[in-house]
Amino acid sequence: MAQVNDEELGKLFNEQVERLQEGQFLVLYWATLAEGAKINYNITNLFDDLKSARVTRTKQTVMGIAQALENLCFIDLREEKNRKNIYITRYGAKALETIIKQKRYTGKKSAFLEAQEK
Amino acid sequence: MTIGIGGAGSKIAAKLDKNAVLINVSEVEMNKVQGGGRRILARVTSEHGQFKGSMKSRQIGNDAYLAMSRELLEMIRGNSVFFSTGGGTGNGIVSGIMTDLSKMDNVPIAEKTFFGVILPYAKLETNEFVINTTEFLTGPLTEAIDSGNTGNIVLFSNKRKFEEEIGEDDYNTMLVQSLREFLSIPEKNEKNKLLDGHIDQEDFSLFLSKSYFNHFTFLDYDPAKPFEEQLQANYNDLLLPPESPIEAMFLVEVPKGGDATAFYKIINYFDSIKVSPVYSVIENTDLQKIRVTVALLYSRKPMELVDDFNRISEDHVHAKVQKSVEQYVRLNTLKVNLEDEAKKVARSRGDVDEDNILETLRRLGKL
Repeated sequence: MAQVNDEELGKLFNEQVERLQEGQFLVLYWATLAEGAKINYNITNLFDDLKSARVTRTKQTVMGIAQALENLCFIDLREEKNRKNIYITRYGAKALETIIKQKRYTGKKSAFLEAQEK
Repeated sequence: MTIGIGGAGSKIAAKLDKNAVLINVSEVEMNKVQGGGRRILARVTSEHGQFKGSMKSRQIGNDAYLAMSRELLEMIRGNSVFFSTGGGTGNGIVSGIMTDLSKMDNVPIAEKTFFGVILPYAKLETNEFVINTTEFLTGPLTEAIDSGNTGNIVLFSNKRKFEEEIGEDDYNTMLVQSLREFLSIPEKNEKNKLLDGHIDQEDFSLFLSKSYFNHFTFLDYDPAKPFEEQLQANYNDLLLPPESPIEAMFLVEVPKGGDATAFYKIINYFDSIKVSPVYSVIENTDLQKIRVTVALLYSRKPMELVDDFNRISEDHVHAKVQKSVEQYVRLNTLKVNLEDEAKKVARSRGDVDEDNILETLRRLGKL
């Protein structure tokens, strides 16, 4: 099996983070805020928020955004009751930290989290 | 069994089922409802004596629920509950029911409850109704749906009533007729000649037991035109419009000698949006055109609706504050922490609070 050294792995990670788009940043951002506030954040909440943030209007795109992050091991999608809840992973946390420090994207408000906090 | 809670819910339940159980905090209001069967007066007392109504207060409705929660939770199992979110009784009692349902581990399919929710028309109904509704939609209802422990939830809207100036009794009759037509699907399958597929009582009950919003509607179907266009043009205007469906059911009624294969185009439409519907095709000799009954199950109430409710209730609050200020009311001095306020404003604008996010990730053990 081909061996990949740490330097190449680091480059791969940076490349993956570099390719993340605004929608994917927002997923990591909102998932962190939700988990920090002990609120379950699921795919339907994400769909509503991305729609309200005018990132997309279709559920298929939202599923694509979330699926790509899960494939990159940046989030876990866990079936809990009849909802798919989103949890940020340690790799996702690193990716979010990188984007925030680069100031590449600005956060947008999540109507769902805002309503929960009231 | 049908259960009507509060004034509006009782009126619908009594029209739908002559044996409906009617529950209210107010005896006077309950006596105004005609029809129905058993009547339960939910007693709520304060230090000043027995309440004669809920005063549009969810808290009073909720107190009434606490006094009868065990009996009610038993009563609603596998049955239908109708209530409005605007007033205090229906909203307060059903908030209690939904909060308790959310805490249950797993409600068996046969014991799921079908909820018919009557929503106020935010534009023209009172501020209390709008605030009560917003609190209900974002709180107990969302929790109950997330738990998967409810059956279908139908969101009836008073929009058409107010826009077309329809009398309350006539409007309630329209809601009940529409609901009856949807609920008659298994009976029609039993009584009419079956041409394709089948929806029996068990299939129908399974569909009703799913924890999603249900938008049902009816249309005269022209197979020569795309089904999607006809569906969108015929959404049920007594209900809130649906979001993209997750599951669906349809019944096609074909007149004698009509095209029994027209349903394939409907299946192809649902396939294009990745939904596998439950369906049946029957012959109905009373019809001249193909008639389709469709039920779409979709997830969660659209966020835009809550936004709309919030916006209207905020306008009311602003107007009230303005009036208070104009009347020279003495306002208490507020101690404001500028740092906290700045953070609140930043949060409401969606600005990334870098330190806060990284601190959260560290606290969660992710960094």
